[in-house]
Amino acid sequence: MSKTLIVGEIQQGVLREATLELVAAARELGGDVVSLLIGNGIGELGEELAKKGGGKVLVADNPGFESYTADAHAQAMRKAVEAESPDLILISNTPNGWDVAPKVAAALDAGIVTDVFKIEQDGDEPVFTRRLFNGKFNGRFRISGTPRIATVQPGARAPYEGSDAGSVEALDVTAASRTKVVGVKTAEAGGHDLTKAEIIVSGGRGLAKPENFKEVLQPLVEALGAQMGASRPVVDAGWLPHNYQVGSSGQIVQPKLYIAVGISGAIQHLVGMKNSNYIIAINKDPDAPIFEVADLGVVGDLFEVIPALAKAVNEAKGN
Amino acid sequence: MKKILVCLKQVPHKDARLDVRSDGSWIQDDNIKFEINDYDTYALEEALRLKDQGEAEVVVATVGPERAAQALRTALGMGADRAIHIWDDALAETDGLGIAKALAAAAKDENFDIVFTGLMSDDANCAVTGPMLAELLGIPHITAVVKTEFKNGDVEVERELEGGALEVASLPQPCLLAVQTGINEVRYASLKGIMQAKKKPLDKKDLGELGLDAAAVAPKLTVEKIFVPPKGAGAEIIEGPADEVASKLVGKIKELGLF
Repeated sequence: MSKTLIVGEIQQGVLREATLELVAAARELGGDVVSLLIGNGIGELGEELAKKGGGKVLVADNPGFESYTADAHAQAMRKAVEAESPDLILISNTPNGWDVAPKVAAALDAGIVTDVFKIEQDGDEPVFTRRLFNGKFNGRFRISGTPRIATVQPGARAPYEGSDAGSVEALDVTAASRTKVVGVKTAEAGGHDLTKAEIIVSGGRGLAKPENFKEVLQPLVEALGAQMGASRPVVDAGWLPHNYQVGSSGQIVQPKLYIAVGISGAIQHLVGMKNSNYIIAINKDPDAPIFEVADLGVVGDLFEVIPALAKAVNEAKGN
Repeated sequence: MKKILVCLKQVPHKDARLDVRSDGSWIQDDNIKFEINDYDTYALEEALRLKDQGEAEVVVATVGPERAAQALRTALGMGADRAIHIWDDALAETDGLGIAKALAAAAKDENFDIVFTGLMSDDANCAVTGPMLAELLGIPHITAVVKTEFKNGDVEVERELEGGALEVASLPQPCLLAVQTGINEVRYASLKGIMQAKKKPLDKKDLGELGLDAAAVAPKLTVEKIFVPPKGAGAEIIEGPADEVASKLVGKIKELGLF
């Protein structure tokens, strides 16, 4: 009988939905499910996870876990692995998850696969599917030896919604860390708030140079009365400021219409816009991952399509 | 004098056309252009800025086949002082942990003050080598670094969280910083730099010279096959002359009631 250890995550005092997604994945695989929850003053959250399908929940509760650090969390995870000898360890692929998971894998000399969106059971061996080459390809992976460690993409599946008796057990662990957390800066408000826009026209690397945002994209933005957004590479290159960035590390948007221009669709961008009401994507590469989330796709040269579209919109509006 | 290590990987060029091999084992990479992984160029720039500010030696290291020497030459041309090229046929199929073990073996007696890596590579997208290397070297690490400030023996960094939030954290040196893209503006190699690079040391090391063997770097993670993602219900695709495409799009936008 195999055993899966779920590493839960608390964000701003509540259990992350991603943790319940791990519960769903673990239960689907079968076998025993145990969980680990790390934090300070989190007894109630441990009970909540137990009732929501986390099985036996080990609670590592210590003032040293007030803020996440890789050092302290790795200690708790190693202690839980020692106590439970799991065959599989599931961790959410969040900024904390991807920070600590490889450290634990190296410490345990264990195989790790990151950012998986599907786990299937082949006999008694799990097979993991994940994206590669920034979403251009998918790959199926296997891990030899146990424990196997996998970080799982948040939102890739529905959370577990059943209830269960479960149980809670304290995990006695120290929480020493060489790294000290000084504080958290929240996102700057105002400036260029895309979260309330009805229409967003976003540009990517396909626009080729910064001037084209003004010369090619801006006329369409104005014709539609839209706001301009951008993908990460554009902001990294300094073509537009950070508050234009749509994606997991920028703004998460849900406009009525999202037009992605010359954006290939790396996962971190898709996370930020895939829940838009209607998505039009314009890209010269028919295999661009952006077409997976688009409702309407144009395979073509944006330098021809965008000016034509701006003109057609203006004509239709009688401008 | 500070000693800084930058680990980099040579990956397919951003604009290279990528196709899957007929057996699905990986991409066809015989006839494509390669470049330094984007994330790693930011890591290198961060190290070179420290060097610009004072006394520091910047060492670049890579694990990769013969062609990867070009990535090291480029890094030397940008201003790194020397390079370590690790390769062995036994590394061809290894995973992130095997690469981290090889890098750790090369780095362990050098006593680096700071190790920089990119957050991830643009090919495999695993994002594991940096934290693994730190663990094997026994030093703390932090990932997704978007700002660094070096003070006395410590380094204060900003780490990217979600939704634009940033964590401010302080690490003692030595430590490993896995940097996010956009942290700085990456310089180009000057012609003079490229000429000078030819005289800079580039040491080749195989597993034996690192005190490792094939068993130590045998992969635990193996790829069964890679493939183009199946298209979902996904997009209705339209092609054709720009005017026709534009009028279809206008029709759709009207349907949505947006003007």
